[in-house]
Amino acid sequence: MNLEQQLKLQAFLDGELPEREAREILAWTQRDHEAAALLAELKDTRQAMVKSEPHLSVPESRAFFWSKIEREIQRLEPQTTPAPDVSIFTSLRRFLLPASGVAALVIAGLFAHFNAPKVVVESVADADTSSVETALANSDATTYRDASEGTTLVWFSSAADDSPAQNKSPAAIN
Amino acid sequence: MSGKNYSSTDDEALVKAARKGELAAFEELVFRHRDPIYARAFSMTRNEEDAVDLSQEAWIKGWQRLRQFQGESSFTTWMTRIVINLCLDHLRRQKRHRADSIEAMDDESGGVERQMHVVTVNPTAGLERAELRKKIDDALGQLSAEHRTVLVLHEFEDLEYKEVAKTVGCSIGTVMSRLFYARRKMAALLAEMRKEL
Repeated sequence: MNLEQQLKLQAFLDGELPEREAREILAWTQRDHEAAALLAELKDTRQAMVKSEPHLSVPESRAFFWSKIEREIQRLEPQTTPAPDVSIFTSLRRFLLPASGVAALVIAGLFAHFNAPKVVVESVADADTSSVETALANSDATTYRDASEGTTLVWFSSAADDSPAQNKSPAAIN
Repeated sequence: MSGKNYSSTDDEALVKAARKGELAAFEELVFRHRDPIYARAFSMTRNEEDAVDLSQEAWIKGWQRLRQFQGESSFTTWMTRIVINLCLDHLRRQKRHRADSIEAMDDESGGVERQMHVVTVNPTAGLERAELRKKIDDALGQLSAEHRTVLVLHEFEDLEYKEVAKTVGCSIGTVMSRLFYARRKMAALLAEMRKEL
């Protein structure tokens, strides 16, 4: 009998084999005396064990045994006291507080974005002139930049006064 | 602590009270179940002092993890799993410090169990319960820690092969061969004890 057969015999005893294999092992033990003897030995040992677990008692008094446990629990108390049960509302509130903060920040961000002065870049010249004119929307400044001249002109004008060009006061920055 | 008397309270209510921080309720649980938890630690370590320390450690862990106990098994079963894991850690630590490692013994014993003579007469037949327990206990003490562990988990804890493998952290094949060796060795030891009578 090889080890694999012996282990199968044991698995049969422990009810760990599929039904078909269990039937094969049973048939084998009925015609093989060696297998039957080993199965009987394993069975006797298992039965003796199962009903004979030694009953042991802690070799210390209740108070002495407990005192060490209590001391250790109290030492660890701040970290280990089981947390009180938390209601669903409390859990929800814990989640909602930071979530509402984030939402407020997002709203503030969106508000700032849509109300900020828009920068409109108008390309008023061809690429070969290498000059760019920009106007800040909702503001009263217009900038003209001529790269070849190395000159930048900025016009400031009153929003109420949108037509007369003479009201604009240019400033040159070189 | 409230000083309340919990002696007639059932385990479930005690666990509930202990979860709320009632140390007196937890003390009652310790008092009720300390013996089987200690017995399991002793059956695995075979050392009284270690078994007391490990079972106390298990109770402290039990207190710390009370919220994880969902009541799928009995409180004792849950506590037994804790003490078994602590014992396994303890045995692993011991093994690291020992020259005669159990793994090495396993390798050495490969095939030994197959050469043992089959015990044809049941060595425990006709023994009184107390006498049988004593013999089983003595024989268990002569097994290596790893063979004993597998035997204890399978026979006393009634775990299936795959559960033993998961608990111990080895393959099902290893569990099967360790269990086979342990049983054959037990049979031989019990037969020897019978002869000595």
